[in-house]
Amino acid sequence: MAHTRSRAGTGILTAAALLAVTGCGGSAISDTGSDGDGPLKVGLIVPLTGPVSSTGKALRNAFELGVEKVNEDGGVNGANVEFVVVDDGGDPATSTQLARRLVQREKVSMLFGTITGDTAEAVTKVADDAKVPFGTAILGDTGQCHPYAWGFGESTRQLLTPTIPALLEKYGKRVAVVGSDYNFPHYYLRVAKEQVKRAGGSVVGEEFSPIGQTDWQPVIKRLKAAKPDVLLAMVVGSDAVSFSQQAKQFGLLSPQLGYDGAPLDSDYYPALNALVNGRTHTVRWTDRLDDPDSRAFVADYRKAYKFKGPMPEVAGNAYFGIQFFLGAAEKAESADGEAINTEIGRLTFDSPLGENTRFSAANHILQADMFQATIKPGGAYEVSRELGRVADTTPMPGCS
Amino acid sequence: MDVLLAILTLFGLYGLTTLGMAVIFAATRVVNLAQGDLIMVGAYTAAVLTGPAFGWRVTLALVASAPLLLLIERLLLRRPLADGLATMLVTWGVGMALRQAAELWFTSTSRSVDAPVGGTVTVLGTPYPAYRLVCGLIAVAVIGLVLLAAYRTDWGLTLRAVADNPAMAALLGTDPRRLRTIAFIVGGLLAVLAGALYSPLLAVNPTMGFGLLVPVFFGLLLSRPGALGTAAGAALAIATLSVLLRTWLTDVLAEVFFYLIVVAVAALRSRPWIRRYMSWLTRVRVPARAS
Repeated sequence: MAHTRSRAGTGILTAAALLAVTGCGGSAISDTGSDGDGPLKVGLIVPLTGPVSSTGKALRNAFELGVEKVNEDGGVNGANVEFVVVDDGGDPATSTQLARRLVQREKVSMLFGTITGDTAEAVTKVADDAKVPFGTAILGDTGQCHPYAWGFGESTRQLLTPTIPALLEKYGKRVAVVGSDYNFPHYYLRVAKEQVKRAGGSVVGEEFSPIGQTDWQPVIKRLKAAKPDVLLAMVVGSDAVSFSQQAKQFGLLSPQLGYDGAPLDSDYYPALNALVNGRTHTVRWTDRLDDPDSRAFVADYRKAYKFKGPMPEVAGNAYFGIQFFLGAAEKAESADGEAINTEIGRLTFDSPLGENTRFSAANHILQADMFQATIKPGGAYEVSRELGRVADTTPMPGCS
Repeated sequence: MDVLLAILTLFGLYGLTTLGMAVIFAATRVVNLAQGDLIMVGAYTAAVLTGPAFGWRVTLALVASAPLLLLIERLLLRRPLADGLATMLVTWGVGMALRQAAELWFTSTSRSVDAPVGGTVTVLGTPYPAYRLVCGLIAVAVIGLVLLAAYRTDWGLTLRAVADNPAMAALLGTDPRRLRTIAFIVGGLLAVLAGALYSPLLAVNPTMGFGLLVPVFFGLLLSRPGALGTAAGAALAIATLSVLLRTWLTDVLAEVFFYLIVVAVAALRSRPWIRRYMSWLTRVRVPARAS
């Protein structure tokens, strides 16, 4: 018996080792862009596999259309822009490695992409070291600024400044926050606390749970006990779906409860439709934006990728973001990362994200417009209120 | 009370999957790394076939997966059986193929399944979502049935005999190949059932089973090969530990303690004196050895 058991033990240990080894492997340069002799080359790092791959693919698709558009309009400095797409699988160690490879071997002039905060941070470090600008399209910031990192997604303050007073007025003053346990949701809570206090409310509950939670009962029970009027959820990935669903089953998510946060993103609409219909959500971009450039992009995207559902916000941010970056490269008249980076800081750019959008020097946050969207059945994120320019010039350590 | 209900629901999920893995492990000495992805197969069947009633979807998931499991066992697992590690690698590959296929067909965007029973029921004064209770009870009933089969039928006796001493069992006239096939199908179907049954509680996506593999793995680590009762017991212990920790502590702290405790228990179990004590227990408990 002892012999058998030790063999069993070895088997299980080997399996564990296998899981550990294979879990974080598998990434390679998968695609190269046009073959023109243009001097400018962009490296795109996105998760095309793994849990956030659907968002990663949306980003890549929009990025490719954005580069295509610039190339159709004559490229940058008279030559077509080239790009290299790499898959980091959502793993920060892989992101670092790939970013280094893109900078050193592929000699890219700028980096773009990543979905999760930890992978963005990994690439940011490489970008700062190599003095190459790096653009992201996801929402959120973590309270840190880096000289070579620029975000096209809305900052936490830009998101919460219009959201919180509206929710508190409609539903009540008691706010609870639930989040996945990583740096961004913690920062989100910090900013939410500030804003709730300013709006005259109080934060009555805060819960964080490791990513990949299957059973939310203990968290939901504690949240219910806090009796919130408004629930802000920054649970991401599949957790956004399982949390919302279980919160509904336990009676926490009722029409009387104000609910906003990541689960209302259009990415999750196919799974959560009935739960989020009729609610409002603050966004920087929606595919229902009534703007000719935006409409043309939506039509191109749907045609090129045979995509029917509501388009993720990250697609719009990436499409117009990369055009902003390439606009700065045109101004810099060079493929040198440092020169482009300086121009990115100076450029003002018109796009559906706003007129004369530009980065604040104090925090590298894009000063752009925000919208309140009402979620209609079928996944139409209709603009119900134009919130105009939402400024966020709060200085952040690292840049000012 | 609602702690007990939470344990019941979670035990159903972990128990079905762990027991399935233990059945396969008993007959083939292989840790089926595709077990988590079989959960995903079950959940997708329930999510995609929106036409028939939920009960039929679960049944259909089982009926459709059985030939798939047979095929996997016959075509892929037969040959490398001589080498346990190679077979395990094959199951890893099967899991990866299933994940990729799901991503290709259904994209990696999560889906959800509506619970067939809505509302809440009050159990001894505690309101609880009706469907959570239903699927917990069904899962526990199935686990009970499998254990009954393992300890009260000829098939169970053969399975335990093979688990104990494959060479001797073969000499005594069992056909190990047939047993392996049946065990793989039964074990796999338990995971498919878990996925289909629990789909209304989970986010259905290609990688969903992967995360569930960790607690199941711990369950297997704490059980004895061939003794299916200990696998169910270990799953119950893991579910209880997880629920209790998360009731008392925040989720983040609870996770840290959960891993610490499980690893400590696993490490302690391998100490010689504890092992000896446990082997005395086994001698009393396993009748297959006596026959």
